[in-house]
Amino acid sequence: MNDMAIWSEKLVKVYPGVRAVDGLSLNVPRGVAYGFLGRNGAGKTSTIRILLGLARPTEGRATVLGFPVGGEQVAILERTAFVSESKTLYGNLTPRELVRFTRGFYPTWSDQAVTKYSRLFEIPMDRPFSKLSQGNRTKVYLLLALSQGADLLVLDEPGAGLDPVVVDEFLRVLVEDVVGEGRTVFISSHQLSDVEQIADWVGLIDHGRLLLEARLDDIKSQFRWVTVTGNALPQTKSPEVLLVASEGDFRKYLVKKDAEAFAAELSGQGATIAGVSPMGLREIFLALVRKEESCTSGNVGEIAEVISSSVS
Amino acid sequence: MLLHVNTASGVPTYLQIETQVKHYIAAGALVPGDALPSVRKLAADLRISTNTVARAYQDLERDGVLRTVQGGRTYVAENPVSFLKSERVRRLRPYARQIAVEGTQLRLDPHEIMELVQQELDALEEVNERYGDLERKTR
Repeated sequence: MNDMAIWSEKLVKVYPGVRAVDGLSLNVPRGVAYGFLGRNGAGKTSTIRILLGLARPTEGRATVLGFPVGGEQVAILERTAFVSESKTLYGNLTPRELVRFTRGFYPTWSDQAVTKYSRLFEIPMDRPFSKLSQGNRTKVYLLLALSQGADLLVLDEPGAGLDPVVVDEFLRVLVEDVVGEGRTVFISSHQLSDVEQIADWVGLIDHGRLLLEARLDDIKSQFRWVTVTGNALPQTKSPEVLLVASEGDFRKYLVKKDAEAFAAELSGQGATIAGVSPMGLREIFLALVRKEESCTSGNVGEIAEVISSSVS
Repeated sequence: MLLHVNTASGVPTYLQIETQVKHYIAAGALVPGDALPSVRKLAADLRISTNTVARAYQDLERDGVLRTVQGGRTYVAENPVSFLKSERVRRLRPYARQIAVEGTQLRLDPHEIMELVQQELDALEEVNERYGDLERKTR
């Protein structure tokens, strides 16, 4: 038992020929908006499927809201709302019928929420699900998830097919009615901008492994590119350095904290500091995710060495 | 509310809020006793996490800029600067250092850097006077 909304330790999921999840250890605190970010195929959906009991992990263990995954699945599902990436519901039922069908499963269900959000999202409540547009199908999922009164909302690519106005309304609802009430939102996405807007925490996943997990504001206040020139620059193994890249005569260090001290140290060893610059989430994402690819043409340049790590 | 944030920038969102609140107070747009929106309201309006707004409000409260009364409403503090001069200098020093470092890196002369700071001080004073005029007119 622990106090995390989601916790996992060395989670592994092997499908024939692929390690979809490869030793993933997550710590999602309660009451936060957590952005679970990665490229397509990074292992986001596989991880979620394990957490919700839809797939069995090959190795490792996890808890959701303190309940062990695979052990107390009913307790988890009663308290967790899930919006999946593939929006398939009973096609001949209307949203109103889907609400009637779903409400019985959840002791915390709120009919008031149904009224509120069906109006807010302008959902055609009496048209069969199969006749709805992609955007409206997504809205029905969100409606069901929000009305469930869950302690944890797990959203897998929730923005798909929604126009910007609805996305904006939805972000407002998540902030005010979910996080504002001390509940937890776990959003899996490759849409950095929407996640960057509301997330307090981000976890960055690639090839089934966690590259980074930290408070977003801490990342922004501490992560820096330190660009230097000079001879005999260290191939540093310092735990504060996440990434080293060479670009012509320059070497760039992605430093996760105390960048000024790091720059001063290099300077003391005879290097010339060309700059210490802050980075947005997008830049960090691209730098860390591209490190495993040959990126001679990318803006990261040739990677001298990679030290993957998470912020404590 | 007059606050804006740009979450795509490299500046932490809670710092953007803190800086703007301090700016509005320095410029006289917010005066002691003015109420700020609740954490939840501001978070919803800006579409950012309530935790981020709470962090900004807590920092501002710790600095004596805001105060929260029982019941949870937050106001601009009556006496925003109640610290000793040495403490105020200690808090400002990192920003002064940053200006010195960034300015030097951008190859500006010391007097050009000083001039920029002076211009910002002048601009603040100008805004302050304008708000003062408005206040007087409305009375």
